Amino acid sequence: MTRILGRNGFALAILAVLLAANLMMNPARFHPAAWGTLLGMAAPLIGAALASTPVILAGRGGIDISVGPVMGLVGAVVIKLLFLGAGISSPFLLWPAALAIGAAIGAFNGFMAVVVRVQPIVATLGTYLILGGVTLTILPAPVGPAPDWLKAMAGGWSFLPLGLIALSWCALTRLPFHGQLMAVGSDDRAAYTAGVNVSLVRFLAYVLTGLLAGAAGMMLTALIGSADPKVGANYTLIAIAAVALGGVSLAGGRGGLLGAAIGAIDIFLLQSLLTTLNVSTYVLQVAYGAILVTAVVLIALQDRHAERSPA
Amino acid sequence: MTLRRDAMSIRILGAFGVALALHAIGTALIPGYSAPFAIRAMLVIAALLAVASVGQTLVVILGGIDLSIPFVIGFANVVAAQLYGQGWHFALVCVVVFGLAGLIGALNGALSRGLNIHPLIVTLGVGMIVQGLVLIWTKGFPSGSAPKAVSAFVSIGGHFGPLPVPALIPALVVLTLLILLVLERTPYGRQLYALGANPGAAPYALIRPLRIWTVTFAISALFAALAGVLLLGFTGSAYGDVGQPYLFQTIAAVVVGGAALVGGRGSFVGTLAGVLVLTEINTLLIGLNFAPASVQAAFGAIILLLVSLYGRERHFRTTV
Repeated sequence: MTRILGRNGFALAILAVLLAANLMMNPARFHPAAWGTLLGMAAPLIGAALASTPVILAGRGGIDISVGPVMGLVGAVVIKLLFLGAGISSPFLLWPAALAIGAAIGAFNGFMAVVVRVQPIVATLGTYLILGGVTLTILPAPVGPAPDWLKAMAGGWSFLPLGLIALSWCALTRLPFHGQLMAVGSDDRAAYTAGVNVSLVRFLAYVLTGLLAGAAGMMLTALIGSADPKVGANYTLIAIAAVALGGVSLAGGRGGLLGAAIGAIDIFLLQSLLTTLNVSTYVLQVAYGAILVTAVVLIALQDRHAERSPA
Repeated sequence: MTLRRDAMSIRILGAFGVALALHAIGTALIPGYSAPFAIRAMLVIAALLAVASVGQTLVVILGGIDLSIPFVIGFANVVAAQLYGQGWHFALVCVVVFGLAGLIGALNGALSRGLNIHPLIVTLGVGMIVQGLVLIWTKGFPSGSAPKAVSAFVSIGGHFGPLPVPALIPALVVLTLLILLVLERTPYGRQLYALGANPGAAPYALIRPLRIWTVTFAISALFAALAGVLLLGFTGSAYGDVGQPYLFQTIAAVVVGGAALVGGRGSFVGTLAGVLVLTEINTLLIGLNFAPASVQAAFGAIILLLVSLYGRERHFRTTV
């Protein structure tokens, strides 16, 4: 337990400070009655960070930079083609459609990275470009609105998708898959000699990332209340930054979804605080970078300290 | 070793072959594709990408990655224009821009290696800080321009003596030879490959990882800054986001040129081949009147296709 706390320690400390500062500066926005809306605003970034995590955990350069474009494509297909085009409005059809799109793209990325063996950053860069182009072709300009139930998921119901993801992940950590994923991420050769199907575990990590990216796409669509072809791609790098901030090692095998979520909330709170203080977006950019670098440096120093004095 | 070298040469020749084939397709399909002006334009655009990719090549040989390149390009582009516009002597402008860029790069390398943090995160974070500071300094509205000499150096219509190309092209040839010499014949070059191929064993050969990483990332930032200044001459006015297309293009060029992102393998000649392939694809797709969105999608698909054909990694099983 202390180990988990330790890896998330800095992200948690930043969280506490930022939360306190936000509460003082802007009590109305952080009033319990507004928590749903607040979570809804943070949800796309949290979703994108969660999505980026499984492939990073799987190690050996695993990364998915197509998470942002998947979010954009999901919005375009769900709103433009399915809701406005085909008149499908049931959440029980639109949500599975979004998840299926994400999972299919994740499977394609996994196929490229694991079977064809293209370096993951290049494989997902290819997907990034293709999806960006396809999204702009489907949806040259923003359209709306989103169905009312979806918009509600950025308000009072915003805890529902994130809560379901949290529950599913808790269930997943009880399965052998989670142990195998961490084993593959920390030392794939040892895992292979121990009989783990390394390729399958890595492939499934890409599918999982795709599924979560699909969900993040729905959260983004809920928040903006329409489909916009340009916003999705912006989430890619900031989500990876959130993951690193949350103590997930980019070398694989260390960290988890909880850390990634905390990292994303940190970035959201920082954004919220600086907006309240009426600071220009340029300062915000510097603050993002500074917090990210400081956090990874502190985590690295802590790791080094832990290696020298094994408890 | 010879076997790996042969495989490497085949990859590079393959990439040059693809570039030639793409050019042949373009000439067959699009009137004027091989016109002197069109070829000159492609050469200049390719040369600018090549300069931006020098650093990425070295860093990838080392087993790292540099995401700060677009931010440093934008930094150099804006700061050079701003200072020159304020009446500074251009030599002094260059000292300041390249000095700061070198420090940014050295910080990237030292933090990544010294604290064992993935360079992707360090260079991204440092890049964001640099871009933010430049935006704060210029309040988002950069001004100023490049000296005429820089514009003439990269101008598509320029001449170099009897050659119908701007001086940038012969300069790039000289630069390529220099880089080859440094990589193949100097202790730094050999240490770079050795450290990239086996980071664990290299220290036993008295290679100092921290120093090589710091120097290499500093070189990467210097070339990114050079690309930024050249782009200022090319476009005529400063623009903070001018480097953004170079983020993924430098990585794609290096990989299409046969380098492995795990380190120890790669060459600048390969990167040049990759740069030509990317420039040909882009020109061809735009020439075929694809919409920008389709150009982007096709670009991604072709990168995937090319890398699947000859950029495949070994199965990790063979490393057990």
